[in-house]
Amino acid sequence: MIERRAALKALLAAPLIPLAARAEARDYASAGEVLAEIDRLEGELDARLATLAASFPAAAALAASVRADHDRHRRARVALRRRLRLAEAGPSFPRAQAATTQRVAAGRGSVDALRALAQDLVHAYAEGLPAIKDAQGVDVLARHMVDDARHLAILQMWTETEQPGG
Amino acid sequence: MGESRREFMLATARAAGVAGPMLGLLAGTESPARTEGNDLEILSAALLLEHHAIALYGFGLKRALFPPGLRAYATEFRGDHQGHRDTQIAIIEERGVAAPVPRDDYDFEHAPAGDEFVRLALEIEIAAQRAYTGLISRIRTDDYLLSAAFILVDEVRHMTVWQRVLGLRIY
Repeated sequence: MIERRAALKALLAAPLIPLAARAEARDYASAGEVLAEIDRLEGELDARLATLAASFPAAAALAASVRADHDRHRRARVALRRRLRLAEAGPSFPRAQAATTQRVAAGRGSVDALRALAQDLVHAYAEGLPAIKDAQGVDVLARHMVDDARHLAILQMWTETEQPGG
Repeated sequence: MGESRREFMLATARAAGVAGPMLGLLAGTESPARTEGNDLEILSAALLLEHHAIALYGFGLKRALFPPGLRAYATEFRGDHQGHRDTQIAIIEERGVAAPVPRDDYDFEHAPAGDEFVRLALEIEIAAQRAYTGLISRIRTDDYLLSAAFILVDEVRHMTVWQRVLGLRIY
């Protein structure tokens, strides 16, 4: 891990992300771990967006669009798990999502919190790709990452105005 | 992507110096075999797009062609592309190949100001995003894959911001 991070520091002179963040890039041990983290963050983002949409009708269209993308992504991950012979997402996933919904409904659903969560999801994809070890799987997840990076960019723009749809 | 948008994007890629099968990859009509030679072709095409983007943003900033209020975005995005360029050069040279240099005949003299200039910036971002999306699953080295993933995230951000500025659909 130290060797990899040293290589990253040497290679990535680019201001793609802050150096400290790059140096702290998460090392995923397996494709299964990556997919589980994406499941978790995606479910939480959907739940938070739904909460925001309930308060700000202007956010409803984005929430519906993101949810549709994520439903498609989830179906593709099911197929990917089968192809890679990985365990399917646990049956607790929908319950975890429901628990998340309850938790975020009680908490702060600010645009900035959403942006932070969306960024975590995008970083999970980016940092997880090297652990996939399968070109077709990387291709599928990279295309999902493009969708989620677009969602993140929208939320970043909203953060600048602190107004959904702004 | 509509046919006119596709043609505009391909024209942008040609102007950047991209040629041959890589244009087909950008158009989504070709999927070059996964060979070391094609990997380098894709990397070189991505670098040419970065060179072109840096030149375009630099010209637009110098001549004040971006609409007022958008210079900060243009400055930020140019900086991102300069970082991407340096990363791509490192990747190509690590493979023992000389990286392509910027063209010396970029022709932006007749570039329009305002939203039309933003549209030029958008097209180069779309081309870059498609190039990196096509490239990423071919990368065999973990650290390069990681850096390409973060470059791709940057390109999507640039693209989305300009699409919103132009009133195009973003979700």
